[in-house]
Amino acid sequence: MTAFVLAVAVGALFALGTYLILQRELIRVVWGLVIVSQAANVYLLAMGEIVPGSFESVPVLAGHGEPGPGTTDPLVQALVLTAIVIGFGMTAFALVLSYRVYEEHDTLDVTELGDRE
Amino acid sequence: MTGVVVAPMLVALVTAVVTLLLRRRVRTRVVVSVAGGLGYALAVAALCWQVVLAPDAPGIATYQVGDWPAPYGITLVADGLSAFMLAMVATVAVAATVFSARYVPSSERRTFYHPLFHFLLLGVTGSFLTGDLFNLFVWFEVMLMSSYVFVAFYGGPLHTRAAFWYVSLNLVASAVFLVAVGGLYATVGTLNMADMARRLAEPAAYGIDARPTVGLLALLLSVFALKAGLVPFQFWIPTAYRAAPPPVTALLAAASKKVGIYAIVRVSFTVFADAAVVVRLPWIEPTTPLAFVGAVLFVMATGSILVGGLGAIDRDSIEGVLAYSSIGQVGFIAVPVAIAATTTAPELRRFAILAALVYALNHSLAKGLLFLAAGTVRHATGTIYFDGLGGLARHFPTLSGTFLLGALSLVGIPPLSGFFGKFLVFDAAVRADASAVIALLLVGSLLTIAYATRAWNRGFWGARSPAVEDATIDPVQVAVLVALALVILAVGVGFDPIYRFADAAAGAALDAETYVDAVAPRGGESG
Repeated sequence: MTAFVLAVAVGALFALGTYLILQRELIRVVWGLVIVSQAANVYLLAMGEIVPGSFESVPVLAGHGEPGPGTTDPLVQALVLTAIVIGFGMTAFALVLSYRVYEEHDTLDVTELGDRE
Repeated sequence: MTGVVVAPMLVALVTAVVTLLLRRRVRTRVVVSVAGGLGYALAVAALCWQVVLAPDAPGIATYQVGDWPAPYGITLVADGLSAFMLAMVATVAVAATVFSARYVPSSERRTFYHPLFHFLLLGVTGSFLTGDLFNLFVWFEVMLMSSYVFVAFYGGPLHTRAAFWYVSLNLVASAVFLVAVGGLYATVGTLNMADMARRLAEPAAYGIDARPTVGLLALLLSVFALKAGLVPFQFWIPTAYRAAPPPVTALLAAASKKVGIYAIVRVSFTVFADAAVVVRLPWIEPTTPLAFVGAVLFVMATGSILVGGLGAIDRDSIEGVLAYSSIGQVGFIAVPVAIAATTTAPELRRFAILAALVYALNHSLAKGLLFLAAGTVRHATGTIYFDGLGGLARHFPTLSGTFLLGALSLVGIPPLSGFFGKFLVFDAAVRADASAVIALLLVGSLLTIAYATRAWNRGFWGARSPAVEDATIDPVQVAVLVALALVILAVGVGFDPIYRFADAAAGAALDAETYVDAVAPRGGESG
C-alpha cells in the first residue's frame, strides 16, 4: 500500500513538474524545476527498504531491547539530505536569475526572450 | 602514496577559499589564483608520475575518505584514465588561469571570478577522481554551479538568457541523475562503482535482480551526454559558450565536456562491462549493456558530427564557429568509444579507447587555444563578429599564427597533435571494418576543413576593418597562446610518450578487475 501511494505521488509530482516546465512563464518554469527535483528526492527516499532494526545499523537502538522496531535505510536519508541542500541553493539561484532575466528583457515570457545582445 | 590522490582537489579547494577571502586585495588575489593554477598542475603531475608514469608505478591508487572502508565510505580512485584526463585538464587550466589574470578586469564586480574558477576546477577534478556514483553527482553539481554563474557572468540580455536555458536543462538532468542513482542503489544495493561492478558481474551470487539496471544505465547515459554536449542534448552549447568569459569557455570545452565523456567511459567500461544482464529491446536481438551503449552512442555521435559541422559553417562570429565545432568534435570522440563498446575483440576495444583519449586530448588543447585566441581578439578589437573583423593576419601575425595552428590541429595536419587524433580514430574505424563510420568521419573532416577555412578567411584575411586598425593587443595573452601552441606542436612531434600514457589509460579503463581489487569493497551482500 505504501509503495503504491509513493509511486502515485512520485508520478504525480513528475507529471506536474513537467507540465510547469513546458509553460511560457519563467516563474512557472522555475516552479516546475523545483517540483521535478522534489519528485526525484521523494523517489530517492522511497528506494530505501524498511528493515528490522538492530543496534548495528542504528546505534541508538542498543538500549531499546529486543525486538527492535522497523527502521529505514539511513543511507538514502543522507543522500536525500545532500540533494535537498543542493536543490535549495539551485532554487534560490534560479529565482534570482529569473529576476535578472526580467530586468534585462522586460518580459517573463520565455518565447519573447528575443535576440537582444 | 594515497595523499597524492587528493592533492589536486585540495590545491583547487584551498586556492578557491583563499581567493575568496582576499576580495579586497585585488593584486594579491590574482597572484594567488595564478599560483593556485600552477600548484594544481604540479599536484596533477605528481599524481600522474607516482601512479602511472614512474617505472615502479602501481597504476592505480585509492584514498578512502575518513578511513571508512569501501563500500561504506566514499572512495577516491586515481587510475590511468583519471590521471590522463587530469593531465589534459591541468594543461589548459594553467593557460586559462594566466590568461584570466590579464583578461578579467579587476573591478569590484569581478570579485568572484577567481574563486569560482577554482571551484569549477575542483568540481572537474572531483568528478575524475571519485569512485562513488552519488559522489559523482555531487561533484557534477559543484562543477555546474560555478559554470552557471560564469554563463550569467556579464549579466546582459544574452548572458541571462543563456544562463536560464543552461540552468533549466541541467536541473532536469540532475533530477534524472538522482533517479538513476536511487534506482541503482535499490537494485544493486551499493553506490560504490567497484562494488557495483563486482555485483553486476555475478548478480546471482549477491541475490540481486539486475534487469532494471539497463533502463537506469540509459538514464545515466542521457545525463552524461548532456554534459558532453552530444546530439540531441547539444542545444545549450552555442549560447552558453558565447555567454561565458572566454578563459572559462576554454575550460568548459576542455574540461567540463570531457567529464561527460569520462563518465560515459567509466560507467560503461568499468561498471557495466562484465554485467551479466541481457538487454532485450523490440526488433533487436538480445545483447549486452555495453553493445547497447555503443549503438546509442553511434547515433548520438553521427548526429553530433553532422549538426556541429553543418552548424559551424554559417556562424557569424568566431566563438559561434568554435562552439558548434565543439559539438562536432565531441562526436569524433564518441565514435571510437562507440566502436569500443560494440566490438568484442579486446585488442580493438583497447585501441579504440586509446584513439578516443588521444582525440580528446587534442580537442582540449586545440579548442582551449582557439577559445583563448578568440578572447584575445575580443579583448583587442571589441568584437568577435566576422562583419567587424578582417585583416587580423597582417596586423597581428603572432596571434593569427597561433589561431591558424589551433585550427590546423582541429583539421588534423601533421605534425600537430590533431593528426594523431584523427589518424587513430580513422584507424579504429578501419580495424572495426565499419565503412559507414569511415564515411561519416570523412564527411565530418571535410566539414571541419570547410568551417576552419571560412573562419580564417573571414576573420584573418581580407581588408583591415576599423576595429582591427585601432586594436592593441596584450602581450601576456599572446604569450599564453604561443605556449599552448607549442604544447600542441610538442605533443605532435614527441608523440610516443603520449601514446604510451594514453595506452595505459585505455588499459586502466578496461581493467575492471584491478579497479575492484584496488578499491577492495568489503562485505558479501549488504551495502
